[in-house]
Amino acid sequence: MPAVLIAAASAATSCTPMRLNDLGHLLQVMGTFLGLSLFSLGGGNTLLTEYHHLSVEQYCWLRPSQFADVYALAEAAPGPSSMIVGLLGMGAGWPEGPGWALLTAYGAEIAILLPSTLLMVVACLSWNRLRDSPWRLAFERGLGPITLGILFAVGVKILKTADTNAAGVVVSLLVCVLMLRTRISPLWFMAVAGGLGAFGLINR
Amino acid sequence: MTESLAPGTTPSPPGLRQLFTGMLMVALSAFGGGLSAWSQRIIVEQRHWMSNEEFLTGLTVARLFPGPNQINMAVYVGTFFRGLPGALAALAGMLLVPFILLMGIGLLYFQFHTLPALDRVLAGVVAAAAGMALSMGFKILDQYWKDPMALLLAAVTFVLMTVFHVRLVPLVLVAGPLAMAWYWPRPPHPPAPQGGRR
Repeated sequence: MPAVLIAAASAATSCTPMRLNDLGHLLQVMGTFLGLSLFSLGGGNTLLTEYHHLSVEQYCWLRPSQFADVYALAEAAPGPSSMIVGLLGMGAGWPEGPGWALLTAYGAEIAILLPSTLLMVVACLSWNRLRDSPWRLAFERGLGPITLGILFAVGVKILKTADTNAAGVVVSLLVCVLMLRTRISPLWFMAVAGGLGAFGLINR
Repeated sequence: MTESLAPGTTPSPPGLRQLFTGMLMVALSAFGGGLSAWSQRIIVEQRHWMSNEEFLTGLTVARLFPGPNQINMAVYVGTFFRGLPGALAALAGMLLVPFILLMGIGLLYFQFHTLPALDRVLAGVVAAAAGMALSMGFKILDQYWKDPMALLLAAVTFVLMTVFHVRLVPLVLVAGPLAMAWYWPRPPHPPAPQGGRR
């Protein structure tokens, strides 16, 4: 990997946890995700770098390797992969016990979904007026390329966070190509790569 | 609305409970992927709640507005019939089972992730997941290939985030309006000054 990437990855490990009582922690987690909700462009994946920043660098909810694990689990589990926010919330609440972790997880997921859901309801109800509005056209065309740039940044960020050995990076690149060229379910890629990890061929 | 439906279908709009169970069915059918294909199959072909055209309009709105696409789609279907309560019922149906399952996975993970055997397997899974993340940008790259301005915007965005660590929110708040100005729809016969207006 280029030196820039490695330098950036290693610079991201210093972070001091905040001392908060339980409820303060929950409210902080919820407030964080409420504020991000409306920036989830392109289907929500654009927020992944921001999730990484908040949970690893700013609030120390997770270690970098845990963030990579949680991302992989959210991708592997059935349902929308944006449910990763629930796992981030769980990581945030874990030091205060599993019950509190669950509560924080639900709180985080509700917080990330609420603003975008309300906006979506308004959008559906006024779609006939919005459809031909120049604002809508400009928003769609203008935010598309920005989303494209963000998604590439997200890909690089996740690759850096995964931080596997050379064999792991080769597998990552191979999976990327297979995702684009074939219609094989990604679950197979994760299963095979998990096997390679179990036998020690991929490590970190 | 009735005339847009195929003959022999039931055009009565679904209630809150039906919206909930309908989206629950979609979520359960889509274990292993293909969520939007399943929602089309169940909502349009099996239950005849919507015409295909109405469903596709929903996909457009869901992709345009912030939020995860499939979740926005559930919100669209719910709102279409029952407004905000319908949206919440559809959303609950969509998320209930997958989220509970994910919470189970999460509790197991945080309890046991320090076990060396689990960590080794996860190292491999993480490598595959990173490849999936990397493919997201390439997946939508094709549609921008003939638009140099779009590629420039994407490249600048990428460099700002990856090299200069610019945060997402300020980036979108500054670059978004600029890009919108550039792509502002032009009137049919403009006197042709260069660049965007507004």
